[in-house]
This record gives sequence, C-alpha cells and structure tokens, in this order.
Amino acid sequence: MQNPYIPIPVEVVKIVTEVDTKDIKTFRFAFLKKEDEAAFGYLPGQFAELSIFGKGESPIGIASSPTQPGYIEFTVQKAGVVTSALHEMEVGAVMGVRGPLGNSWPIDFLAGKNIVIVGGGFAFTTLRSLINYMIDERNRSRFGKITVIYGARTPGLLIYKDELDAWAKRDDINLNVTVDKGDADWKGREGFVPTVCREVAPSSENAVTVICGPPIMIRFTLPVFFELGFSKENIITSLEMRMKCGIGKCGRCNVGEKYVCKDGPVFSLAELDKLTKEY
Amino acid sequence: MEKRLIKKEALAGIIGELAGRMRVYAPVQAEDQVLFKALAEGEKPLVDFANTKNAPKNFFFPRTETLMKFTRTEKGMVHKDQEKAGEEKQGGETLLFGVRPCDARSFTLLDMLFDQEKYQDPYYIDKRAKTTVVALGCVHPPYTTCFCTSVDGAPLAADGADLLLTDLGESYLAEFLTTKGEALLSAFGGTPAGEAEDKQKEALATQAAGEIRSRIPAHEVKPILDARFEDPFWNTLHQKCLACGTCTYLCPTCHCFDISDETKGDSGVRIRNWDSCMFPLFTKETSGHNPRPSQKERWRQRVMHKFRYYMDNFGAIACVGCGRCVMACPVNLDIRKIVTDIAKL
Repeated sequence: MQNPYIPIPVEVVKIVTEVDTKDIKTFRFAFLKKEDEAAFGYLPGQFAELSIFGKGESPIGIASSPTQPGYIEFTVQKAGVVTSALHEMEVGAVMGVRGPLGNSWPIDFLAGKNIVIVGGGFAFTTLRSLINYMIDERNRSRFGKITVIYGARTPGLLIYKDELDAWAKRDDINLNVTVDKGDADWKGREGFVPTVCREVAPSSENAVTVICGPPIMIRFTLPVFFELGFSKENIITSLEMRMKCGIGKCGRCNVGEKYVCKDGPVFSLAELDKLTKEY
Repeated sequence: MEKRLIKKEALAGIIGELAGRMRVYAPVQAEDQVLFKALAEGEKPLVDFANTKNAPKNFFFPRTETLMKFTRTEKGMVHKDQEKAGEEKQGGETLLFGVRPCDARSFTLLDMLFDQEKYQDPYYIDKRAKTTVVALGCVHPPYTTCFCTSVDGAPLAADGADLLLTDLGESYLAEFLTTKGEALLSAFGGTPAGEAEDKQKEALATQAAGEIRSRIPAHEVKPILDARFEDPFWNTLHQKCLACGTCTYLCPTCHCFDISDETKGDSGVRIRNWDSCMFPLFTKETSGHNPRPSQKERWRQRVMHKFRYYMDNFGAIACVGCGRCVMACPVNLDIRKIVTDIAKL
C-alpha cells in the first residue's frame, strides 16, 4: 500500500523573487529520484503539500505545467510558519512535496472551447499552469481562442513578468495585463480587473472562463461575465481552505459533503451554488 | 459460523491467558473509571461493566501517532528512511476485548473513511488488520443515554466484531464471526452451541432492544438538514457550548485530526493528533479568514457531518448511539434533543 502521507524528496533548483515587495517567490523543485517524477503525473489546477520537516506542510497550487518536464514549480507568498521557512531556503536545499492532490482545471471540458482566463494578484499561479499547458505546441490546437485578463495592484506586484512579455509577443493568445495603479515606468493598461473584463468583452459563444483571484475581485467580476452571457456551468474557479492531510480524512476542508482537498479545489459556479456557503 | 458456549467464570481467565500470547487491551477499573488498558499475562479484565469511559477508536486511530521521522542533513531535514515507508507503523497482533456493540459498529463507520478505494490510510488499515475485536453484547443496555437502536445498531449486534459474546446466564454464547475470530477457537474452548442458544439470544436481543428508552428520529433529519443549512434553529443551539471538544474526543466516530512536526536537536517526528471541529482554530486560515467563524457554524458542522454529510458520502449516520457525548458534556448539550428538535423543524 502506498503511503499518501510520506512526501516525495525534492531539491530546490531555482528561486525567483516575483514581486518588488519580495514576499512572493517561485520555487522550482527537481525530484531527487527519477521514478518519482514519472509517478507525479499532474494536470493544471492541482496542488501539492509542500513539506518542510520540522516546520510542517502547506497546500500550494502547482504553478508549472505538465508540459514542462524535469521540474515542478510553486509560487508562494510568505505568510505562515511553513511558507516563511520556505522563503529562507536556498538553491540546493532538500525538502518534500506530497501530491499531486485534488482535481484539476477541467481540461476535457475546456477542450474545443474558447478560453477566457481571469486572474488577480498572486492567485495567478495555477492559471499560469493552465496557460502554459494550452499554448504548448502539442495542445494548442485542442483549444479555441485564448483570452487572458490579468491584474495586480501595482506593476511591481505582477508575477511571471518574463512570461507575460513572451505571451504578449504571441499571436495565438490575447493578453490583457492591467494594474490598479501604474507608476512612472508603466506603459500598460490601468484599471480594475472587472472593468477590463467589460472592456475586453470576450464572447460567451462556445466559451468558458476560468477565474482565480481575491474574493473582492471575483465578487465584481462575476456580474460582468453574467452580462456577457456566460452560464454558471461555464464559469470555473478554485477554492482555498485550510488543509492538513490533503486526502479527505482530517476533516478541516469539509464544505457540505465535499472535501475541497479531494473533491476540489476546482468547482464550477453551478457546483458552488449547490454547496453550502461555508468557505 | 462456529458457535460455542463458554462458562461464565472461565472468560476473564481465557482473556488473561491470551495476554501472554499477544497484546490484549481490555476494560479494567482505573480509579473511578473503566478504561481500556493493556493486560499483563494472566491479568483478568472486567467482564461486568457498563461501558468504557473512552471509545476504543484509539487503538486504530491513536490520540497521538507518529507518521514519520526525520533527521537533519547538510541540505536540510530529510525523511529518515525514504525506502521503508511503513517503518513507523506499530506492529504486532492485538486483541481488543470487551468492546460494546455500539463501539464495534463505529469501526465499520471509520473503515468507510480510512479504507476508501482511493487514498487509503495505511496507519489505520494496518492496525485494523492486525486487531481482533471481541465484542461483549449488552444484554441489559447500561445507560439511560444509550440510543444505538435509533442509529442502525442494536444491543446484541455483531457489526464490526470478529467474535461476539452474549451473556446467556450460566454461559456466554460465543459467535466466531470472521476468520480472525475463528483463530481464537482453541483459546476459547467451550462446548458447541446450537439452535436452542440461538433462540435464547434472539429473545434476549428483543428484550434488550426494548430496554433502550432513548429513541431519536435520526433517520428523519437528513432531508431537513439538506434544506435547512440557513435556519434560525442554528442561531441559539450553540450558545452554552464551551468549545471544550469533549464530545468529539469521546465520540467513537469522530476522526478529525491535525498534523504537526516536533523537532528535538537533529531529529524529529511528524505526528498526527486528534483535532476537533469544535475548536475555533480548526478551520482558521493563515490570512485570518475563518469559514466557520463562531461556535454556531461549528455546531452546525458537527450535526451536519454526522447526520447529513456522512449519509451523502457513505450512506451511513456517523453516530453509534453510545451516549458518551451526552454524558460528558459539561453544559448538558444533548445530541438526542438536538436531533429530535431538528425533526420538528
């Protein structure tokens, strides 16, 4: 019997400080054992428990795409005990990863449709995974138009800046990056995500939107998508809850009859409507 | 199924003798409480008692359990033995004697969670597989708070037991229900039992069930709970709750846990401890957000999880009617009254 509580040993191979406040970093891990990498088959939208012995575990969405072999990446904000310890780590350190856990963005459901990605702030991590998955040359033809609307409070808080630049140069992805308030060097768009969504006005025709961001952004963005004609089945999001075991046993991410860790974290708005409002 | 008659006065001695061959946990008097304790060889357990203060879930799902060990290296703390994942498991054959039918049934309910098709819990499953459960039927249900018959149990039911003992007066009827139970045949000895004893047990079962006075409409509340998540009923129910968590710690089916790390010098352990949905920090997130911000939501969760969500997920009520939570609650919150009130909503 495989023990789902034992983390897979990984080595930190790259650390990128994403934001000017320096409290969000992307960690790249390589598996210490080759067979573990093959066993760690995942899809965009899944998460894993980052495991630092002596500190504990923290559930974090996988920010890399399975189309990028050889490593997995997580973008982590320094917040609690585990993430603070992680932020102190240097390249070469050894730690653990437990996963992949949870369901994923519904790739089969998204296939053949136009995809609208809406991200806010640092909640862009598993959306980045999805974008890189869809624009991979082996997958790009499976999806229709890809529209991305991504916003942060300031230019310095945008994550994955190099990738945003690279995506902007592509003609098979409509990228709209916005900040609440720009600075002297900012030449891009200014405005809140809901406003930009209204301006970009993606068609709801054969389209699905995948939204991830702070609750306040989601609250004001949803009405825009309803106006655009998106049904609740075609609006997908991901929940966050406090978790420990990650495998539906310890009880703390229990919402209604679901466990966010194993039945989620990804739900459509239609599914969330049926769930008790306790998240 | 093999059935035997065991002389009453012989039982405690048989169990005491078994304690020399394997690890035996059995009810013993500990000051003013009856608790499961490991027996020394030849030590006799209680055979005449009401029920133990603690539920026996501890033997499969300990209050504190080491999940793994880790040690410091130049590159950081690493799992001590990456090859042998099962190293930390406590091994050895175990006999659990004197489990009441309500508590034996709780094992079948815990199996549903810990032994699912996906994500099996190796720590629980390993101990469960190595343990033989000897249940002692309640010919006279011990407490006024007993309500097993309302939640699919019965005073002489065999669910979750490998061997069921029923007091027939002069002797115990021993029913060897499983392969694990049959392995105890030679140790128990006795004389063959037949139809007459079956009939006697049947009559006792009817009589014992009749002696259970607490009846609650546990099977009526599911559709009400489905519809009444937002009901004024929840606004006051919790008000006297002290959030002590005793109900969940004593509950044979509560299974929520926490995982934490403890380090001493260059090595440490990752352990899991019982946790409780009654505690404010249980669901509190790093950001400060708490999806269950007050005791109201926590009480609702406790009731919903037992009488609605477990039904949704496993088709069973996560309550065995042992009445421990009713007896131990310092402010007399009574799950029987709560369920009865919900049925009237």
